[in-house]
Amino acid sequence: MAHSTPPETGQLWSAVRNILPLAFGVATYGLAFGLLAAQAGMDGLQTGLMGTFVFAGSSQIVLVERLVAGAGAMTAVLAGVALNLRLLLITASLRDELSGRPLWQIVLGLHMATDENWALLHTARNQGRNVGYWYLVGGGLCLLVTWVTSTVIGANFARAFPDPQAIGMDFAFTAAFIALLRGLWRGATRDLAPWVVSAATAVIAVLLTPLDPSWALVIAGTVGAITAGIRPDA
Amino acid sequence: MPDIFLVTAALATATFGIRLFGFWLGRSIPAHGPWARALNALPGCLITALVAVLLVQGGPAEWIAATAAAITAYATRSLPLSMIAGIAVVLLARMYL
Repeated sequence: MAHSTPPETGQLWSAVRNILPLAFGVATYGLAFGLLAAQAGMDGLQTGLMGTFVFAGSSQIVLVERLVAGAGAMTAVLAGVALNLRLLLITASLRDELSGRPLWQIVLGLHMATDENWALLHTARNQGRNVGYWYLVGGGLCLLVTWVTSTVIGANFARAFPDPQAIGMDFAFTAAFIALLRGLWRGATRDLAPWVVSAATAVIAVLLTPLDPSWALVIAGTVGAITAGIRPDA
Repeated sequence: MPDIFLVTAALATATFGIRLFGFWLGRSIPAHGPWARALNALPGCLITALVAVLLVQGGPAEWIAATAAAITAYATRSLPLSMIAGIAVVLLARMYL
């Protein structure tokens, strides 16, 4: 029967199908992170718990890399936290998806918010697809399972896998975000000026200031959004 | 090596705090007008900034691969094909540049 599937389940599975190429990229990083975790003396359980409760891959990589490099716990944690500042902007723009939901769904949705499924949600929405909260959560759950599984495998057997950079997989997310931008484009009238301002601010901040790239990213995204806000015609 | 459970708890708590604070920020913004326009433009701006930072940190191989991914995305609108094009071109460019 056409109506026997609740829309929630439909969105969940649709998100899982759409995010598979990104999940493949996440898995290669998970294996690499597992090797790093093993070098830091972490076992499978510790690696799995970190992936489940932090669920922000790049910050985990930075944290453990700092620990392996001999940094103190506080320095390592701060480096990871700085990288996650952009999540502030990501969850801010999830207002419409999360508002009015029960507390457990808000907590779940917030914890499931990562760059990949959040960008995929906005891209799908921008292309006119009627998707929302469960699309975000479906993509997030798929990434969580992929991330935790691949990092735990990596912590145990990492030496059997090639380095992501050696097979070009370090470029997977750059390519993915470029493809997602294609879907996020709402036309030159609305997006050209804010996007140019964002990109220019990011480039200037990285090249000409001593700012950490994590901060450059947050500042550039905010400045671009403000540009969109102060233009009355868009 | 510091206690892994402690640093995990610290990073997990701070990360969820950031996610929660962002949600609170978004809710405090009015639903219409300039702030709403800014919030709606935020996804594209943040991803644009992210790509810009990644490309500044890369070199000619990454720039050529980014161009290949952009052309593929423009022509096909396909996420997997764009990723494959980008990865393949970056591999070749690193070999021959």
